[in-house]
Amino acid sequence: MSSEATLIEAARQGSVPAFTALVRSYREGLFRFLLTRASSYADAEDALQDTLINAYRYLHSYDSRWRFSTWLYRIAINNVAKLRPANTVEFTDLRDEGNDPLAFCIAASDRENLWQCARRQLSDEVYTAMWLRYVEDMSVRDIATVLERSVSWTKVNLMRGRKILDAELGKDATDDESKAYG
Amino acid sequence: MDKLAKQLRDDARQIDCAISEELDDRINASLQGITPQAAHEPRAVSRPAWFWWASSLTGVAAAVAVILIVNLQAPEPQPVAAERAVTPLVLPAIEWHTEAAVLTSPLEEEIENLQSDLKKAEEAVKQDIDRLF
Repeated sequence: MSSEATLIEAARQGSVPAFTALVRSYREGLFRFLLTRASSYADAEDALQDTLINAYRYLHSYDSRWRFSTWLYRIAINNVAKLRPANTVEFTDLRDEGNDPLAFCIAASDRENLWQCARRQLSDEVYTAMWLRYVEDMSVRDIATVLERSVSWTKVNLMRGRKILDAELGKDATDDESKAYG
Repeated sequence: MDKLAKQLRDDARQIDCAISEELDDRINASLQGITPQAAHEPRAVSRPAWFWWASSLTGVAAAVAVILIVNLQAPEPQPVAAERAVTPLVLPAIEWHTEAAVLTSPLEEEIENLQSDLKKAEEAVKQDIDRLF
């Protein structure tokens, strides 16, 4: 039995230390993702807390055929959706620099972070698919499971997301060149 | 790894995601107060062997009783259907006032006429619209 499986079994029996050890390697990645999706830093913290609590409470429903991170992300996405009802915070409001946790957490750079651009250009689902693919290295099948979509939908939308961000990247490169050459 | 994938990964790394001690303590405190739910396994209901014999016998007895009741009842007299008088169906004679269609000109000419009518109608509508707005 792998160490992760051992920890899961112990956590199912009610061991908090086992659960804490189990999620330790996933926490930062999850929090990073939540920061990019939540409307404020406090919301991202709440979403992380809720995700871990729900994961612990419903650990019996985890199916070991899937990666543990896939299951955690599914819970996290549900929690983000609950925290940000469409009628209270509009997506466009996030671009307000003062409220944006993503802008707050990104180290000062001379060019715009691609994830900021992705959040502006892509839908929530496509954004999540891109994140899971390029940051979490998830397989297309796992992404489809997390998003509760078909594999073909996931492939098509990853392609679309790539195309949009590729264009943005090209635009940035052109801007840089024009700045360099006056 | 292509340029976009590398850029996305590098940009994600730039996002500061350090979990504060306060948040860590908050999460731990919340977890302490929770008991994970146990898996709900379906409970096997065991019944004694005589239960199956008793239910089978009851079923057989009920079937025999139904057969006996149905067969011992006297047959009811069948209602005699009254014969209906057959009346001959008389259809009213219809006088058709129709004319045989005569193709006055070749079809192409007809189409041209229709198209010019349509154009005139369109122009009339356009003029009406211009007049209104």
